[in-house]
Amino acid sequence: MKVKSNPFYAAHRLAFCAIISVLIFSAGCTSIKLIADYDEVIDSSVTEFQKNMETHLIKLERNIGTDDASHENNIDFYDEARVELSSIRVRAAAILKNELTLTQIELLIQNLENLEKIHELGIAANDIPPLRNAFNTGTTAILKLELAKKRGIEVEG
Amino acid sequence: MTDIDLSDLVANMLSAAGDSLKDKWPESKDYAESEFKKIGETIIFISQEVLAGRMSEEKTKLHLEMQKNSSKMVLLTLEGLGLLAVEAAINAALKVVSDTVNSAIGFALL
Repeated sequence: MKVKSNPFYAAHRLAFCAIISVLIFSAGCTSIKLIADYDEVIDSSVTEFQKNMETHLIKLERNIGTDDASHENNIDFYDEARVELSSIRVRAAAILKNELTLTQIELLIQNLENLEKIHELGIAANDIPPLRNAFNTGTTAILKLELAKKRGIEVEG
Repeated sequence: MTDIDLSDLVANMLSAAGDSLKDKWPESKDYAESEFKKIGETIIFISQEVLAGRMSEEKTKLHLEMQKNSSKMVLLTLEGLGLLAVEAAINAALKVVSDTVNSAIGFALL
């Protein structure tokens, strides 16, 4: 075709390709990432934390009014839970573009601290439902975002 | 103290979240609705326990703080889902550019 062989149009086509290439390569490659990748350790650690928390709440529920449910007899649980969440926090902070998950873990740590304060005041049966909801909602939120980071894999909501 | 209406509370929470997320809202709505409903029910439970004199003010503040933190965690997930949706849209557009350029020049440059 005449138009294609015209040096003027050929130059335009080359310039177009060059501009597009520069735009795409300047973005890093042919795809971009606005948020961190899925992390299996965060997924499994948060799932494990949820399991431990649920076990703790079930034991408290069963033992309310006895020494087994006192704060003094459950200090080990709080110490271990703090270490567990601190470790997840460090992991989340080390991953690029992971600020949303990091903030979620920090909020989960605050909720653990609030739970311990409630326990120090003396745990009652009517404390358990709101505590369970707070931890289940929080851990579900973290896991839902983490699983969505797998990208392209439909996550049941 | 007036009674809290659960459906009004959930509707207001959904409306506030939807306004912030705009066009990324539809795919996140079911998840948000389910979580805000649970949080709304829990807030009503707490207020009933306070009214009945079964929960101290000190404990109530701590419980409400925990529900507030959980709501923030849900909102952060919605924000993340929105970012993933934008990312997918940008990458789909970049793929079109890449396919078009590669096809025009006859080899896989991009």
